[in-house]
Amino acid sequence: MDYILSVLIFFPALAGLLGFLIDRKAVRSYVTTVATIEFILSLYLWIQFDNNQLGMQFMEQASLIPAFGIQYLLGVDGISLFIVVLSTFITLIGIISLPEDTKDLKEMLLTLLFLEMTMVGVFVTLDAILFYLFWELSLVPMLYIIGAWGGPKRVYASVKFFLYTFAGSLIMLVGMLVMAYLYFQATGVWSFSLLEWYRLQLPFDYQLWLFGAFFLGFAIKVPMFPFHTWLPYAHGQAPTVGSVILAAVLLKMGSYGFVRYSLPLYPDASVYFIVPIAILSIIMVIYTAMVAYAQKDIKQLVAYSSISHMGVVVLGTFALNPEGITGSIFLMISHGIVSGALFLLVGVIYDRRHTKMMDEFGGLASVMPRYALIFGIMMMASVGLPLTIGFVGEFLSLVGFYKVSHILTILAGTAVVVGAIYMLSAYKKAFFGTVTKDENKKLLDLNGREYATLVPLTLLVIFLGVYPKPVLEPVDNSVKAIVSLMHQKAITDEAKEVIPEINFNEEAR
Amino acid sequence: MLEAVNISFESLNMATLIPMLVAIAGGLVILVIDLLKSDLDKSLYVTLSILFLLMDLGATVGLDINQRGFFDVMFIDGIAILSQIVIIVASTLFIPLAFASQKFHEYKYPEFFALFLFMTAGFQFMVASDNLILIFVGLETASLSLYTLMVLHNKDKSFEAAIKYFTMGAMAAGFYAFSSMIFYGLTGSVELYKIFEVLQARDFEPMILILVATIFMLASFGFKLALVPFHTWGPDVYEGSSAALAGYISIVPKIAGFVVVMRIFEGLINSGVVWVEYILYAVVVLTMTMANIWALVQSDVKRMLAYSSISHAGFVMAAIMIGTTQANSGIFLYWILFAFTNLGAFAMLWVSHKRDATYHERFDHPFEKFAGMVKLMPIGAVMMGLFMITLAGVPPFSVFWGKLYLISSAVNADYLVLALIMAINSAISAYYYLKLVVFMFLKDPISNEDGSVYMANASLSLKVILGIAAFFTAISIFLVNPILDFTSYYVAMSGF
Repeated sequence: MDYILSVLIFFPALAGLLGFLIDRKAVRSYVTTVATIEFILSLYLWIQFDNNQLGMQFMEQASLIPAFGIQYLLGVDGISLFIVVLSTFITLIGIISLPEDTKDLKEMLLTLLFLEMTMVGVFVTLDAILFYLFWELSLVPMLYIIGAWGGPKRVYASVKFFLYTFAGSLIMLVGMLVMAYLYFQATGVWSFSLLEWYRLQLPFDYQLWLFGAFFLGFAIKVPMFPFHTWLPYAHGQAPTVGSVILAAVLLKMGSYGFVRYSLPLYPDASVYFIVPIAILSIIMVIYTAMVAYAQKDIKQLVAYSSISHMGVVVLGTFALNPEGITGSIFLMISHGIVSGALFLLVGVIYDRRHTKMMDEFGGLASVMPRYALIFGIMMMASVGLPLTIGFVGEFLSLVGFYKVSHILTILAGTAVVVGAIYMLSAYKKAFFGTVTKDENKKLLDLNGREYATLVPLTLLVIFLGVYPKPVLEPVDNSVKAIVSLMHQKAITDEAKEVIPEINFNEEAR
Repeated sequence: MLEAVNISFESLNMATLIPMLVAIAGGLVILVIDLLKSDLDKSLYVTLSILFLLMDLGATVGLDINQRGFFDVMFIDGIAILSQIVIIVASTLFIPLAFASQKFHEYKYPEFFALFLFMTAGFQFMVASDNLILIFVGLETASLSLYTLMVLHNKDKSFEAAIKYFTMGAMAAGFYAFSSMIFYGLTGSVELYKIFEVLQARDFEPMILILVATIFMLASFGFKLALVPFHTWGPDVYEGSSAALAGYISIVPKIAGFVVVMRIFEGLINSGVVWVEYILYAVVVLTMTMANIWALVQSDVKRMLAYSSISHAGFVMAAIMIGTTQANSGIFLYWILFAFTNLGAFAMLWVSHKRDATYHERFDHPFEKFAGMVKLMPIGAVMMGLFMITLAGVPPFSVFWGKLYLISSAVNADYLVLALIMAINSAISAYYYLKLVVFMFLKDPISNEDGSVYMANASLSLKVILGIAAFFTAISIFLVNPILDFTSYYVAMSGF
């Protein structure tokens, strides 16, 4: 299958278009089938993926707007491979998880298919304009999901989500155009191909500005402090499936952008900005962890803890060494699985009680033991307990950054402690003790649909926690390629000094 | 006794005039038919208009580039041909909007269609000349026809709109005449290329007079193109005209205006006199930003679209100010793509035309009217939603490519701040387009109607036009390259 990436992008969209013809009652089976096929295709991609080959695989190229150098250019490497698999997997889980009584179920299901197209598209395109295209297009289905199925303040939340990301990415678009112009000046050819941009060595002051433009786009999406204010609203108002996909995949677009664009394109600026970005990340980690502790709404708690972990992802990325970047990519995947699962779990209790306030619960462990067990495992994974999936990425990210700065890493490490505090105390409030409310006494434990979504996630959490190698190895190879590219491209003295120091100090000794 | 003027017919090069003559002949034929047999159905006149416009298009496409004709007042360069094509194609797409299912006062009169063709000819004259007098004649022919078309709608609002437009237009004409007078007084010519030759030779002295002439010219076209701060008539005129005509006003007169501005200001900007650029810069930034901010608070979709077209015009003015070949061909790319989407948006309003005060005592198309439209008429809502997010500049739909190209041309010409202002304005504009999307998709219907209001004025040909607009908007990613090749060729041929 030479065109597997195109198939992966457009299969859900075409299926979504055809889906309008299908009867309301049958559409659920249809969409589940489509999402399963898509997931199997992405697994096939993984199987066919050659771990030993550096660089992009499954490349596809066609000219789209030759007058302006815009191409249809696709490819995956170890970094994007797993995020693509994660996207298709989480979409499938999200589709299965939709309760039967969702209003306008057909529209929701078809919207999810369109969203899946844009998500896969973002991660496999290697042309900047195409990347921007899918990036922006992903806002529209999400706007609809939050706005049409969300809570009472859904319109405000969805518009805020749209405008924040839209504004940030337009600045990024200007950055892309400047980049293309610089490439044109250097080579005489228009191109938006990322692979060709990689070869361009830019003067330091250009790098600073361009890094800033891209940073704004990505940082709003991640979302980094102080651009994070849209996310709690979006999560608070979104329906369960919206939150799951938002946390598991859409936020990864930002952190993926850092790895794919910021680091290899602007190595010197990346080195220059290590400390400011690390400080922002650490503020983000600690501050949102504290905010999470203050939440009474369990979904907001999960939302803030999700932001907090994204801080570690950014920190790991800007360690600029294979350990840190590999760790941060692994953490993206584990964060996708864990926070997706946590939002699903919150959705489970919300469907039963129609409230998300923690003091409404208490003693749930005795009423819903299986639910409590899965919640417990996910919470441990979120805190980063060894032998769960959360530990591997967090540990590697922090180890990576430890080479850059000991003090900053220790500060970031405190967040793990704060994370444990708020998670455990929330768990204690909701699950232990005696059942205080009468409504909670008759709650049913998980049903078949919920098992179908949560058990695969739980198994993944434990399996990849014990044996992360199948994921780490391909990621690590691609990351090493990026780091060595940065090393070659570095022009400032600072970067030339810092990059080897944080990467190769074992050999130096 | 006057000496006999002795010129050969060949030297007149009448070929340059044929496109306009076809349109004018079309108008006259319609009038003659009306004389011979009255009370014919509008469908005859609509079809005749389309036929004549198509012939007009054929004559335009057949023109050779870079020739002069008719005592050298006609000047057919690349952008003259290109803009005539845009004008004719847009007119051809707008005139079938007359096939509405409801009865309208204006379409009872064959004169409406005759005037429409005269107006098209007027716009064609405007863009196909570099003679200040012929430009003025074209401008006035077109404008006077347009005022009449507007008033034929026969509502209080449309009288108000037409009078407002007429007064402002008269003032603009005055400014134009005054400015031409100064240019003529300074240089002894009304031919633009000669004017700039003479001004160049005398090193743009006396500065003060040139400044006055430039300001008058800018004000004149500021009124015509509704640039801030000369825009005040715009939204009222849109509100008072029928949606079909408002859509037309937002596209065709503006492209004609842009071409003239391009011709006049190209020379002034290249003169190296900095204040021309400063003034234009201020107008551009004000137009984009203020129109966007005013659009945020509108409660009527048509008024919102009026401000939105003002803001889009600001984008194009930015490109005129930049003045590189890339920017100038970007103008046509932008306007062609914008025309399809705006045609769709206004056609959608036109289709939902229904005169009652159910939703709002003043406005025909308040946002509330579209609340919950997706539940009542999903296909219409999806189309309108498509047009709105396209106007907001969401890729891969049409307007995005225009914006991309214009912002890129700003970057390439070292106008980085302007590029950022354009980007930020796109972000602001997203809000008011989204507002309609939010009403259509995320709110519940206000009245308990069955959605027939959204199709109250629909007919087959209106639906076809909507389909065409939506189709071209959706697949524009594949159109960009051919359009770009086409526009770049013509623009480069005329040396802009």
